[in-house]
Amino acid sequence: MVATSHDVMPDIELYQPTDEENALALANTLGADGWIVGGGQDTYGWLKDRNKSPAAMIELTQIDAWKGIKEIADGIEIGAVTTLTDIANHPLVQSRYALLATAAGKVASPQIRNVGTLGGNLNQDARCWYYRRGLDCYRAGGNICYADSPEGLNREHALFGASRCVAVSPSDTAPALVALDATMVVASSSGERLIPAQDFFVGPERDIVNMTVLNDDEILTAVRIPSTWANAEFYFEKVADRNVWDFALVSIAAAFKVSGGSIEDARIVCGAVECTPRRLESVESAIRGQQRSEELAASAGEMATEGARPLNYNHFKVPLMQNLVKRAIRG
Amino acid sequence: MGEGIVRYKRDVWGEEVILGVSWDLLWVVSVAILVLLAAHAIIMAALANKKMEKPSAAGRRVIRHESIDRLFHWVMAASILVLILTGIAPIIGLRISWLNIHWISGLLLTFVVAFHIIRSLFWQDFVSMILGPRDFGEPFDSTRKPGKYSFEQKGMHWAVTVVVLAVIVTGLLMFLQIDSPFWERTNSMPESQLGLVFLLHGLSTLALVALASAHIYFALRPEKIFYTRSMVSGWISEDEMAANHDTSLWSPKEAD
Repeated sequence: MVATSHDVMPDIELYQPTDEENALALANTLGADGWIVGGGQDTYGWLKDRNKSPAAMIELTQIDAWKGIKEIADGIEIGAVTTLTDIANHPLVQSRYALLATAAGKVASPQIRNVGTLGGNLNQDARCWYYRRGLDCYRAGGNICYADSPEGLNREHALFGASRCVAVSPSDTAPALVALDATMVVASSSGERLIPAQDFFVGPERDIVNMTVLNDDEILTAVRIPSTWANAEFYFEKVADRNVWDFALVSIAAAFKVSGGSIEDARIVCGAVECTPRRLESVESAIRGQQRSEELAASAGEMATEGARPLNYNHFKVPLMQNLVKRAIRG
Repeated sequence: MGEGIVRYKRDVWGEEVILGVSWDLLWVVSVAILVLLAAHAIIMAALANKKMEKPSAAGRRVIRHESIDRLFHWVMAASILVLILTGIAPIIGLRISWLNIHWISGLLLTFVVAFHIIRSLFWQDFVSMILGPRDFGEPFDSTRKPGKYSFEQKGMHWAVTVVVLAVIVTGLLMFLQIDSPFWERTNSMPESQLGLVFLLHGLSTLALVALASAHIYFALRPEKIFYTRSMVSGWISEDEMAANHDTSLWSPKEAD
């Protein structure tokens, strides 16, 4: 169905559970017919445009157990319905995990961050405009990618990992959480499972209609960030067409452990170049144990884009990504 | 998108075009073939004590399948099973990187089928696989025995031939729509044609699921298992041959 813009929401059931048990029971009962809502900033566009038609929404922001930031034995735990503003401004996050605080502070606009949640930001759907327009592309269950066609406009699309669909991960916090080695806490009525952030996101070669490994009856309830990278040297940069209220053209989230100018360890993750946050493991290996220098940064930048397959209109992302990696390593 | 046998969608111009086959049919086909095969097994079990004694595998042996043809059969079988499993994986919600395995298996199948067609036309007894009027009387006359291949075997062969050629042709057209080591996709096929290709690929896949299930079932049946053994070892015994084939219509070489 091609999008028809409406100013009003469709007639839809709204559930607002106030405890975990009810929320998980609803997710289990409704399955694919239930749409999990955090702040709703990704949801309402889909529903108003009538491009997704779930039978019901399960709105989670009434559940206090899934809100807030607390210290745990090894690091911190952030509830999935904690707002991005709360994360960006939280002293614990700012002091130990400034990478995430910066990334959360770069999402969209202040208004959206005030209501947008971490869970919503991580689980938001692809921003390909053909898909969002309601065209029956691969991601919508169809048999074609409109973005990667002779006439397709694909300036924002993938450099890596495209498998039929060329959409990218739009989340700003996702690269930061992968860099920080976070763990996703996922619950369903049958129990809880912990998923490393890097494995939480899924590319089209494995699942072309979903962007995460969440099953229909599962809810992301919290994110745990270990102390491994606490107080490391961080670098986050998001390049977009506008400074606010925009998605990244390319972003970078990096964490370094540096001693005497030498990089002891590093985690470097790029956003908006692939359908999942792209961890640059070859670059991390190449710079580990090396002295920071302009040459090292330049060669790492070149290395970062090896294997890139630009589309018709996104060749600019290659030097952009190279430069972001270079700047991150240069510090 | 409509449902039924065919799924429809709106193309980029808003026109309704075919999207592909409705995958609900996968469950219909699976259940139908299971019921049919189970019914066959029950009937055969009920008739079992009326059957004649099983021919002996001992004694002199004759060649039924050359080693090159057995190799072809098993490579084709493996590639078809991999194609079915990898093709079905995303439909039933299995998250695996299936696409590369799928097209590589598809190419392998294309090459072995091309090889088989050439070999069967010029180096094998192609006539022995042709269905003639005599074959159609075979199921109704218990005294009539076939040459090398029975009516059922020929029927299965030609059904598989049609279906496999259909999946290969449509599969190759679909292969052109994805990036590969040999080209970058153009995504330029009109959506209505693309939908037709997807539909035919889906329908032939469903037929292949049914045929492959039936083939495996019959290959494992006690009274047919010697054919399966011959597809591994190459031979059947003279006793098995005499019990199931007309030696005036098929004169195989003796096995070593």
